[in-house]
Amino acid sequence: MSEYSTSAQRYDECKTADGKVRPSWQKVVDEIDALGPSGLNERSQQINQLIRENGATFSIDSQSAKKKRPWKLATIPLVIDEASWQRLDTGLKQRVRLLEAVLDDLLGPQRLLSEGVFPPELLWSNPTFDRVYHQMPGADGHRLHVTATDLARDNSGNWWVTSDRTRAPSGLGYLLENRIISGRVFPQMFRRCFVRRVAGFFRILRDQMYSLAPRMRDNPRIALLTPGQDSYRHFEDAYLARYLGYTLVQGRDLAVRGNQLNLKTLGGLLPIDVLWRHVSDRKCDPLELEPNSVEGATGLLRTVREGNVAVTNSIGSVMAQAPAFLPFLPSACRFLLNEDLKLPSVATYWCGGKKELSHVLSNLDTLLIRPAFAITGNAPINPASMTAAQRDHLIAQLKTQPHRYIAQERLLHSTTPVWHEGKMHSWHLALRSFQVQTSDDVHTLPGGLSRVSDDEDTLGESPHAARLSQDCWISCEQPAGDLQTLLPRTGAAIRITRSGDELPSRVAEHLFWLGRYAERCELIARLLRTALTRLVGEQEISDLPEMPGLVAALATIGQIEPDYAIDGLGSAMPDLELHLPSSVFDMSQPRGLQSSIQSILYNAAAVRDRISIDAYRIIKRVGDDLATPGPVQTGDVGPAIERLNRLVTDLLAFSGLASESITRTHGWRFLQLGRRIERTNQTAELLTATLVQPARNESRLNEAVLETTDSLMTYRSRYLGLLQPEPVLDLLVTDETNPRSILFQLERIDSLLRQLPSDTNEVGLGPDQRIAEELLHPVRLSNIKTLSQREAHGKPQENGKREALEALMIWIIDKVPALSNAIEARYLIHTGVTQVITGQVAPSVDDELTP
Amino acid sequence: MRYKITHQTEYRYSDPVAICQNQLRMFPRSDAQVVVNESSLSIDPVPDSIERHRDYFGNLVETFAIESLHHRLDVCVTSDVTINPPQDAQSVAPQSWEEIASTISTSRDEKTLAVGEFAFDSPRIGRSEAFADYARRSFASGRSIIDASLDLTKRIYKDFRYDTTATHVNTHVEEAFTLRAGVCQDFAHIELGCLRSLGIPARYVSGYLRTDPPPGKPRLVGSDESHAWISVYAGHDVGWIDMDPTNACLVGLDHIPICVGRDYGDVTPMRGVVLGGGLTTLQVKVDVEPLS
Repeated sequence: MSEYSTSAQRYDECKTADGKVRPSWQKVVDEIDALGPSGLNERSQQINQLIRENGATFSIDSQSAKKKRPWKLATIPLVIDEASWQRLDTGLKQRVRLLEAVLDDLLGPQRLLSEGVFPPELLWSNPTFDRVYHQMPGADGHRLHVTATDLARDNSGNWWVTSDRTRAPSGLGYLLENRIISGRVFPQMFRRCFVRRVAGFFRILRDQMYSLAPRMRDNPRIALLTPGQDSYRHFEDAYLARYLGYTLVQGRDLAVRGNQLNLKTLGGLLPIDVLWRHVSDRKCDPLELEPNSVEGATGLLRTVREGNVAVTNSIGSVMAQAPAFLPFLPSACRFLLNEDLKLPSVATYWCGGKKELSHVLSNLDTLLIRPAFAITGNAPINPASMTAAQRDHLIAQLKTQPHRYIAQERLLHSTTPVWHEGKMHSWHLALRSFQVQTSDDVHTLPGGLSRVSDDEDTLGESPHAARLSQDCWISCEQPAGDLQTLLPRTGAAIRITRSGDELPSRVAEHLFWLGRYAERCELIARLLRTALTRLVGEQEISDLPEMPGLVAALATIGQIEPDYAIDGLGSAMPDLELHLPSSVFDMSQPRGLQSSIQSILYNAAAVRDRISIDAYRIIKRVGDDLATPGPVQTGDVGPAIERLNRLVTDLLAFSGLASESITRTHGWRFLQLGRRIERTNQTAELLTATLVQPARNESRLNEAVLETTDSLMTYRSRYLGLLQPEPVLDLLVTDETNPRSILFQLERIDSLLRQLPSDTNEVGLGPDQRIAEELLHPVRLSNIKTLSQREAHGKPQENGKREALEALMIWIIDKVPALSNAIEARYLIHTGVTQVITGQVAPSVDDELTP
Repeated sequence: MRYKITHQTEYRYSDPVAICQNQLRMFPRSDAQVVVNESSLSIDPVPDSIERHRDYFGNLVETFAIESLHHRLDVCVTSDVTINPPQDAQSVAPQSWEEIASTISTSRDEKTLAVGEFAFDSPRIGRSEAFADYARRSFASGRSIIDASLDLTKRIYKDFRYDTTATHVNTHVEEAFTLRAGVCQDFAHIELGCLRSLGIPARYVSGYLRTDPPPGKPRLVGSDESHAWISVYAGHDVGWIDMDPTNACLVGLDHIPICVGRDYGDVTPMRGVVLGGGLTTLQVKVDVEPLS
C-alpha cells in the first residue's frame, strides 16, 4: 500500500492529503500489505470463482445481442468509519421522510404548488405524472418503503446526493451477494474491522413487508413481482425472494378476481396480500395504465383503491425521483418538514425556469445535461465534448422544450484503492445507499453498494455501470452490537403445511420442461458417446454392425441430419466420421444437444428461486461448458467424448440433487413428469431405430443399446455376457423394476398424475390420466416373446422386422405428445391471449424501467 | 333543455372470453350547466364485481369484471339530463387572450392552479410551433379570448375536411393536422394543440349532440353518435367556454357534456382487457331524444 498514490484534486477514502492512512482503514491496509500482490491475486480469483458459481447474472441466451456480463466484485472493500457514517445516516433518513412528504403532497393536496414551493410547471409538464396516480392510497400510511440514494463525495470529503430512487431501487440482491462473498474471502479482516452487519436491515425490511398486509394476518402472502427472466433484475429478484422467503412472481402469475389480487397456482387462486413490485409504475395495470404491458396485472389499481392489497413502493412513487425536483428539495424540506435539508444534492438546474435556462445556456461547458423527469440508463449529454453543430442543436432543443431538461454540475468523485489486474489503482467511487421506511421510522442499511471506475463519466447511476462493485464496510471501534441473522420473524406463528398447492402454474411449466430437456440431453449425450467410443476403436467404421442403428437413432432424435438415417449409410460413412464429433458442438440443429442444453438453461433460469443452490451450480457449469467453443478442427473425437462425459456426469448429478433436495410437492412432480415423459419417448425412438430391424450381428447392437440406456450393468448382473434380444427387450420395455424401462416410466407417470390436484367436481379420469392409461396397459400386457419375434407380414421370418415391437413403439411415439399436451392444457395453460379492446392510451413517455 | 340519452355498446366475440375487465366513462355529472335527473347502467352478462370512483378530473368511472365464459357483452347507459343555457359570455368584459396566457404563466393563485395544467402537453397532444403559427392568424394582438377562439374554431371547420376514413381512434394529432382531415376527436385535438401552443388552457370534452332529422322525416332512433369538442379558459370571471370545431359554433343547448380531460385518452368512454375472444366486432348505438 505504500505505493498507492492519490491525487491532490480528490478526496481519498483511504489516505489523507498528506499520505497517511486513515485510522478506519489501518487494519485493512495491514492485511493488504501482509497479503502482498500474490495474496491479493489469489483472493481476487477466489471472488471471481464464487461469483461464477452463484451465477450472478449469467447469459441465458447466447445468441442474444444483449449478452449480460457477470457481476464483478472488487477485491478490496470500501471502508467508512462509523462516526462519519452516522452523519450521513441522519441525512439519508431525513431525505426519505422528505421524499415521502413530497409525494404525499403532489398526489394529494398539492400545497407545494399553491404555496409557491414548486413551480406548477414542474408537475404540469411532467410526463411521468399519470393522473391515475393522484389519490392512490399508500400502504401503512406511506407510499415509500424501500428506497435508495446515490451518493458521491467531493474533494473536501462531503457527501452529495446525485440521484434518488423511489420506484423500485435495484442493487439489494447484489449487495447481499457482495457481503456474503467478501465475508467468506476475508473472514479475519471482516471480524477485526468490526464491520456492521446488514442482516438486521433485511429483518426490518421483512417485518415491514409483513406489516403492510391490509388484513391482520399471521402469515400474509408476500410476492415479489419481477419483470421477467430476460430483465436485468431477474438475478437479484430471484436472489432476494429466496433470501427473504417471498414468492417470486411475474405478471403471468397474477390474476385479479373480484376485487382481490391472486396468485395463479396449480391448486387454484390464492390471495396475495403484499406485492413488492419491481416493474415500472406505468406497467402495473394494462386496464388503467399502459395497455400493452404484460408485466403487471389487469385490474391491479382497482384492488389497491379498494384497499385489498398493499403494493410497494406504491404506484406513482416514481415521481419522487424526478431529477428536476432536486433543486427544489431544500425549500420543500423547510416547507413540509420545517427542517433544513441536511444532505445536499449535486447542483442541478431545471431548464423550465427562465433564469435557470439562461444560466445553463451561458455555462454550458461546465455542465452535464440530462432528461428532467426520467432517470435513464444513458450517459448524460456532455456539451463540452460536442461539435459546433451538435451544440447548436442542443441549444435549440433547450430553448424549445426547456422543461424537458436539467443541467448538473460535475462532481469530483472521491477515490479509493482498487486491486485490478495485479496492480493497485486509485479509482473513482459512487455509493448507493438503501433505506426502509416503517410506520414510524426510517432505517438505513449500514453500508451500501459501492461502484468504482477509473473513468468518472462511467459512474452513472446504474449499479450495472462502472467497472467493478465493492462491498462497503462501516467499521466500528468496538464489535458491532447488531449481530443478527435472518431467523424467522419473532412472534409469527407459521402454519405447518406440506402442500405444494402454492406452486405458480408458470413455475410448474418451467419445471416440466426442465425435466424434459434434462432427460433429452442425457439420452442424446449417452447415445453420442456410445457411437463416438466405437469410432475410436481399432475397427473400420464400415465393419461396425451396430453403427447404422445408432446413426439412425441419432437422426431420429434430431442430433444429426435425417438424411443419415435414410440412405443406409453406405456412402455417408466417411463423412460421418467427421460429422459426429463436431455435432457435439453444433448449435444449428434445433432439436440437437446444444439447443437442448440452451433450453435447460432457459427453464432453469426461470425457476432459479425454486431449485437448490447446489443444483443450480451444476446447471450453471453445464451453461459455462456450452459457452466454451468446441475444437475448430472437426473429426477430433477425444475432446468430444470428454465433453460428453462431463455433461452426462453433470446431468446425473443434477437429477440426483433434484430428487434428493426437492420435497415431494407439485414442483417435484412436474419435474419428474417431464423426465418420465421424455424418457418414454426417447426409449421408444431408440428401440424403433435399432431393434425393430436389427443388424446382422445383433449382440453388438444390443450391447450398444444397453450402454446408451445405462442398463448394461443390470443386464450383465443378470445374464452375464450373453446378449440376446428377449432379455434386452424385457429390460428396456416391460421390466417394471428397471428405472430405464418404458413400463417403469409409464407407471410413474400414472401415479404422478394421480397426485396432482384435481377438480373435486370431476368424475372419473381426467383427459391426461386417460391417455396415460392408454399408454400403460398395452405395455403392461405385452408378451416379451411376441415383441422379440421377427416377422414378415405377420408370419415368423428369420430376417424380418419385429412387427409387434414396432407397432407398440409407434403407438407410444404417437401418444406421448398427446399426453404432454393434455397435461399442459389441464395444469399449465391458465392464460389465453389477452387483448385490449378499446381505449388505447398514447405511447408512453420515456419511462422504461432503468437500472 | 331536457334529454334522454341511450348509449348502447355491443361486443361480439368469435371465441369465448374467459374474463373481461372494463372501465366506463359514460356518466354525466352535475355542474352549473348540467342537471342529471337520472342515470342508469345495465350490463349483460351481469358483472361479478363493480367499482365506482371519480377520477382526477372529477369524471365518474365504473370499473367492472365478468369472470365467466361469455361470447358477447352488452353495456347500456341511459341518462336523463337537463341542460341549462350557458352563461352569456358577453355580459362580462372580455379579457384579451394575452392576459389569459400571461396569468397562467405567472400567477399562482388558486383559480390559476385549478386550470393551469390544461395549458401544457398531454399524452396525445404536444404543443408546437406549427400549431402556434396556425392559431396566430386568429389571435391578433389584444383580441378577446372568446372572439379569437371562436374564429379559430370556425377556421378549423373551414380548413379541415370531415372524413371518417381519414383517421382512426389512435391517429396522432400532428398527422390529422397535416392531412387537414378527420373527425370530431381530431378537430378537438387540433384546436387544443393550437390553444395550448399559445399558452391558453383548454380541455377536451366528450359528450353527445342533438341531431335534427331532415325536414319532414321522423327522428331515427339510435342514429346519433358520441361527440367531442373543446372548452377554452376565458379568464377567472367567465370560466370555461365550450366550442365545437366540428360544427363551427359555440356550444349551447344541443350539446350534452359527459366527461372532461386533457385529451381523448383521459375520457375514453370504454376501455377493457379481455382474455380470449378471437375476432371482436363492436357496434355502438347512441340515441339522443329531446324530452322537452
